[in-house]
Amino acid sequence: MNRIVISRKWAALALAPLLFSAGAILRADDALPKAETILDRYIEVTGGAAAYKKHKTEIRTGTMEFAAQGLKGSITIYSAEPDKSYAVTEIEGIGKFEQGTVDGVAWEKNALTGARVKSGTEKAQAMREGTFNGVLNWRKMYTKAETVGVETINGEPCYKVVMTPNEGKPETGYYSRKTGLELKAEVVVDSPQGELTAEVFSSEYKTFDGVLTPSKIVQQAAGQEFVITVQSVKMNEEIPPGRFDLPADVKALVGKPATKPVDK
Amino acid sequence: MCWCVGLGLTAVLVCGQSSSPSHYTKDQKRLNIDSFEKVWTTIRDKHWEKNPGGLDWQAIHSEFRPKIEAAASMESARGVMREMLARLKETHFAILPASVYGEADADSAGDGSPGIDLRVLDGLAVVTRVDPESSAEKAGVKTGWVIDSVNGKELAPVIRKLKSDPEIHELILERAVLSRLTGPVGDALKVVFRDGANRSRAMDLSLDPPRGAIAKFGNLPPMHVWIESKKIGNSGYFAFNMFLDPERVGARFEDAVSSCLKCDGFIIDLRGNPGGIGPMAMGMAGWFIDKPDVRLGDMFMRSVTLHFAVNPRLDVYTGPLAVLVDGSSASTSEILAAGLKDLGRARIFGERTAAAALPSLIEKLPNGDGFQYAIANYISEGGKPLEGIGVTPDVEVAPTRQALLAGHDPALDAALEWIGKQRTHQ
Repeated sequence: MNRIVISRKWAALALAPLLFSAGAILRADDALPKAETILDRYIEVTGGAAAYKKHKTEIRTGTMEFAAQGLKGSITIYSAEPDKSYAVTEIEGIGKFEQGTVDGVAWEKNALTGARVKSGTEKAQAMREGTFNGVLNWRKMYTKAETVGVETINGEPCYKVVMTPNEGKPETGYYSRKTGLELKAEVVVDSPQGELTAEVFSSEYKTFDGVLTPSKIVQQAAGQEFVITVQSVKMNEEIPPGRFDLPADVKALVGKPATKPVDK
Repeated sequence: MCWCVGLGLTAVLVCGQSSSPSHYTKDQKRLNIDSFEKVWTTIRDKHWEKNPGGLDWQAIHSEFRPKIEAAASMESARGVMREMLARLKETHFAILPASVYGEADADSAGDGSPGIDLRVLDGLAVVTRVDPESSAEKAGVKTGWVIDSVNGKELAPVIRKLKSDPEIHELILERAVLSRLTGPVGDALKVVFRDGANRSRAMDLSLDPPRGAIAKFGNLPPMHVWIESKKIGNSGYFAFNMFLDPERVGARFEDAVSSCLKCDGFIIDLRGNPGGIGPMAMGMAGWFIDKPDVRLGDMFMRSVTLHFAVNPRLDVYTGPLAVLVDGSSASTSEILAAGLKDLGRARIFGERTAAAALPSLIEKLPNGDGFQYAIANYISEGGKPLEGIGVTPDVEVAPTRQALLAGHDPALDAALEWIGKQRTHQ
């Protein structure tokens, strides 16, 4: 379901671009800028590398809603250097969904299917998302980034950047030519349930402690849609002790054979 | 991804909200037309077949749009939409009247029960379970008794009428009959039974709060979920009435299995269980399957195929597993039973299931009604769809009045006997 893309946008707030200052203007007939230029510009317009580097921990809170199905919930994501993350989503009528990354282990646990340790491309995806300030380190996580065209997203021309991770399916980001902000991402969510292509729309960017962050995230996949509304982003907050520790039942599963994601 | 709510079929039976033509306002008419369009468009866009049900869906719109415009009441508008949905000849397409959301609330009128469950056997409503501490138990009601009338209304004609409609399958039939035994909590019903000696026995039964705890899930009306977990001899037994409230049901299920890892056998009783949240089947199966990369089946949507993958738990029960089903076991119940059967992990006892297993969602319509629609076809691991076919038990055994009167439960007895033989073989 939601988990991967939510955390992609929340825990890692991944990919993106640009070193050109926000005032740089690109004409329609300009050659497409290199992907790394777009991604570096994104870092710049969202606060700059220095602002990101000031942060060692992060706690994000928000709400999520599947409006059509009448489902509502809350979400909290804790993350810390270098690759620790813990996200908990509570949805009315279903219960708690937990997932995390720590010490090279990616896991999830929920009331529907129980505890599980991720493997293969699913694990790789989770570890990318769990990388703190991953946006600054995209070169380490992706083997290739390529600008493949210009597409209009919500009326705004955007550069389409395809990034190929070290492991897993390519991810596509759409970056506003005007502002440099990422407005949309397409991600193949991999899990034992199969591959699911999710479209994630980011908007209503707000500044939290020097970094511009989307406060509204709309994800569409398999004909369903949910909306995350960011309520708070606290940087360098003290993370509760043990927050990233593996739950006992997850710890017991480490190293045991697990159902793998379906690689096609 | 989507939340696969397999439930359905049950809430539809709660009586609809009626409104006389004179109270049918222009606003209601507009909202009903908007609702019609929402229903039609949703099926056009989200049904797993481009031509839903093999139909010319555009022609369906042309046929029904004038009818919804001509509808003169909420009920007739609902009827138009239901008639359109019926053309699909598939389960899990339903209009749930707005009133069901209120009626199913714990404190609202209508869901009190004397603590009886029943089956229709040979055209008779036969008591199959009497809840402990219920007014029925206190009054001395026994399994195997026939319910002849409720508040002066005979049940036999109702059963005959419902059974004559080929569209009414067992689950709906039994829910419809059972609904005659509900009412406001605190009220009393005058029920005439036929006891084991075929003597007529009139009893006043008070209506208790429904069994279990209320569970809410999105646009599904609130429902009561009960769990029964116990040991029978040295076998575990777990029954629950719906795949909802996963935290509570999941925790109790974990306790039941974990405390029974050395048991002679384990029995999951899905009789009368109409389904619920689909992924719960994957979670439950994981307590009995220790191999990774196993699935119960596949869900085929128009744009994507999703697998009901089993997540093996840390401590798995590997002994004999029996699953009990009947004609009221539907949807997620069928997904779990069929998957475990196809994987060779469980032996199924009872009667053929409801054959109604399409993953579905429920959304609110502009007029306030709920709209349930299937979003996928489901093929069990054995390669067969469950819709229209259901799960055929390995051991077909149906309850009889005589057996119930003697205090027996034929499907459960057969499962226990099989477990006993497995122990002997080991």
